[in-house]
Amino acid sequence: MESPNGIDRTSPKRRRLSSDSVDLVDQEREPSHPRSISPSVHDSPSCQLVERPSRSYRERDDNTRSPEQEDRSLYYQRERSRSYGSTRSRSPRSPAPEEPQRKLVEPPPPKPTQLYYKPRLVLRGHKRGIAVVKFSPDGTRVASCSADGLLKIWDAHTGKIEHTFEGHLAGISTLAWGPDSRIIASGSDDKSIRLWDTSTGKPHPIPFLGHHNYVYSIAFSPKGNILVSGAYDEAVFTWDVRTGRILKKLPAHSDPVGGVDFVRDGTLIVSCSTDGGIRIWDTSTGQCLRTLIHEDNAPVVSVRFSPNGKYVLAWTLDSCIRLWNYVEGRCVKTYQGHQNQKFSMSGSFGTYGAKGHEYAFIASGSEDGSIVLWDVSSKNVLQRLEAGTEDAPLRGHTDVVLGVDTHPTEPMLVSGSRDGTVRIWKMEEGAEMEKAKAELEIRLTVNLRDEGTLEVDTPADFADTPR
Amino acid sequence: MNLPLIDPSVLALDCPDRLTGELRSGHSTCVRFSRRGDLLASGRLDGTVVIFDIETNGVARKLAGHTRHVQSLSWSSDGRHLLSSSHDWKCVLWDLKDGSRLHTVRFEAPIFIAELDPTSHLHFIAAIFEEQPQLIDLTTKIPARSTLPSAPRRLQLDTDAGHEKQAAQDAKQTTTVSIFSTSGNHILAGTNKGWLNIIDRKTCQVVHSYRLTNNIIIFLRLGSSGRDLVVNASDRMIRTLHLPDLDDSTLDVDNIRLEVQHKFQDTISRLAWNYCSFSSTGEYVTASSSQNHELRVWETRDRGSLITILEGPEELSVVEWHPRRPIIAAVGTDSGRVYIWSIVTPQRWSALAPDFVEVEENVEYVEREDEFDIQPIEETHKRRLELEDDDVDVLTYGPLKPEFEEGEFKMPVLLDIDDTDSEDEVVEVGTGQFRRKSPGRGKEWMNDEEVPSGDETRRAVNGGRGHNGAKRRRAE
Repeated sequence: MESPNGIDRTSPKRRRLSSDSVDLVDQEREPSHPRSISPSVHDSPSCQLVERPSRSYRERDDNTRSPEQEDRSLYYQRERSRSYGSTRSRSPRSPAPEEPQRKLVEPPPPKPTQLYYKPRLVLRGHKRGIAVVKFSPDGTRVASCSADGLLKIWDAHTGKIEHTFEGHLAGISTLAWGPDSRIIASGSDDKSIRLWDTSTGKPHPIPFLGHHNYVYSIAFSPKGNILVSGAYDEAVFTWDVRTGRILKKLPAHSDPVGGVDFVRDGTLIVSCSTDGGIRIWDTSTGQCLRTLIHEDNAPVVSVRFSPNGKYVLAWTLDSCIRLWNYVEGRCVKTYQGHQNQKFSMSGSFGTYGAKGHEYAFIASGSEDGSIVLWDVSSKNVLQRLEAGTEDAPLRGHTDVVLGVDTHPTEPMLVSGSRDGTVRIWKMEEGAEMEKAKAELEIRLTVNLRDEGTLEVDTPADFADTPR
Repeated sequence: MNLPLIDPSVLALDCPDRLTGELRSGHSTCVRFSRRGDLLASGRLDGTVVIFDIETNGVARKLAGHTRHVQSLSWSSDGRHLLSSSHDWKCVLWDLKDGSRLHTVRFEAPIFIAELDPTSHLHFIAAIFEEQPQLIDLTTKIPARSTLPSAPRRLQLDTDAGHEKQAAQDAKQTTTVSIFSTSGNHILAGTNKGWLNIIDRKTCQVVHSYRLTNNIIIFLRLGSSGRDLVVNASDRMIRTLHLPDLDDSTLDVDNIRLEVQHKFQDTISRLAWNYCSFSSTGEYVTASSSQNHELRVWETRDRGSLITILEGPEELSVVEWHPRRPIIAAVGTDSGRVYIWSIVTPQRWSALAPDFVEVEENVEYVEREDEFDIQPIEETHKRRLELEDDDVDVLTYGPLKPEFEEGEFKMPVLLDIDDTDSEDEVVEVGTGQFRRKSPGRGKEWMNDEEVPSGDETRRAVNGGRGHNGAKRRRAE
């Protein structure tokens, strides 16, 4: 494998046709690389200053915390509880009396409003578009599946190819890691589901046959004993993983099933269809427990449970991602800002913020080649990982991003696109992040000065400015 | 996590009402649910222990080690270890992580029952045929055995009269069944003379005895609360008792008053009960009886009345109630199949569309004032988005306890389970001609009578390494 220095930047396409390769995206080599700032940042600058970017990430791996830092985390907690409540009154728990003065001197680190993911690796090897990419549950590897009928396993940190699984007779639309990070399942347009052993590199001899049409989506139960699959034939099947036999056929939908998922204790299954419906099923009885249909009835292409299993996140072809409280049958959040009119794309939940104060974000691809990260509660765009261009192909994807996944423990993302590349993104940390933040703040300040509204330092004054 | 979505009236059902399935792998002789209830261990006539996955109704693991039929099974509390006792006079402790035999303990007589300590998988008690029960400690290299008494503890008044005769009689008593209390600090034992002994585990002394009957006590089982005991005796009666809190330090063991709460019997046909079991909540007792095909279910909270009779296809022996759900598993004595009774709930039609409602009788629909108003789409969109200002927490788990936690032990899913002998182990060789499936194949482990336990293999490996090291040194 060539070293990053030897990469011929002028002809990236040549490499794509050759064997699997990794491009290390070194930011020093692309000095013109601009900080990606989402449009929403420009739209609502006041909001940006209210929740000023914090240093909370630096504290993440600090074992030896100074008292000052302790104080800061205390502020942090307070700030959080405040931003959650509707009133502005101080929480009665606050023990420190000198707090207000301090606050003026050094604003406490509130909830971060920006994330700083940057391209780290570009994995090339697939000859056609990539449908789904996923980190293994232990976080060591990445699996990608593609329309070229191949399933590839890469090392998540070095990007080295570990296995290429051949066997499907048509393109692969979906994959799922078993909970032990060893078994991987893939569903293909050849109507079959296959299992692969990533430790031996061998396929499981018996394919799961039963679907009458393209398999669109599969998911393992948390114990790994049941697999659920959704297909173009409008059916949802549950399979006994050990024998490859169908356990239950759920008479699911009246249109192709785009997505399926298991809740974290395995008792519920969710499925969605292009007929616009989302259904929740009981795994053991196979009965439908709840149906969710949005008034607009847009085709639902992908669905997954939230990490705690209380909500369902659904991608619809009206460029929206909706979060549903399925117990109440109510849509609680709508995330917009990406493009999704045509393709069946999926994404993932991730977390950010200091340890012990984690917030959730949602990551999804977009049809313009970018990746968008939203805060779950505020629906604000935290970062937009921009698409690449002809002159800077290492910067981002050049075609529709179909699959995005978040690393189970580290601040990392992986994305797969129709341009045939898998990209790994990493959060900026330490000095780099400080630099990125400083740049961003300068830009914001300039913007605000032009509008003539700046000069105040306390966040409270900004919260009242109309958006 | 499915509980909020299930109709409360369905959740309220707690007694199975029909036969819903059967599990088959060889001829089963005993079954036991794991504490979490997702696995069912089944001991077979040929000595193999099979683990069924209740969620898929398939075989999850096979454990070969016994040469005779399996007598009893006991799970550790984390679901990782399983103790089996067999008619080959051995107890085997299995590690389900890799299916290995951690320990094999041989006895000098057949074993009635072997039960694991609920607090540690390295201790168990075994009730042995015509011998005193033993408490086995596997923490040391050579299993440490301590013998427990069977003679009941008599009060002073009894001992004065006919002391010698009684002592001689007591010496003849043997324990037929022994189980741990929930905390593991006491042992409950039933004897062949109908006495129930409560034994302190530390001192190995009987602290209290109570005579239930004159006949042999066949079986004891604690309910999930740990305070309810069900006893099956050979006098064709099943009794339930309420125990005091044995771990209470203020408890005066001399003044424990044990009282039989309920007696279940069939006064007309005088049925002998094969096995009995508590329901998951301790609210019901179920029992299988000889010479008929039924399971009887009684309630225990009120007057102990018969609730239902579950019909089975054949005579049933071991019966087990699922630890969490209304599911009963019972073994057919003739075929060795495991039958499953549970509840079949109907599909709720209102779940199939968000605006469906199930109504008891016709309701005249009243139209809302603005129901058919036409509003500009953009405005509705905007209004809808503005409504979404709740705080959403997608990370913390909340009070609902999930059925399966991330950190809990989960048995690896084996993809190459040999399920071929789920039918009888015979193959058809011609029309009407059968023979046993290649005798001896797959039983190579039987040749090796003394299979080393986990410790010994590890020692062997270490020894080997040391040896190599020595060699290398010599070579230098």
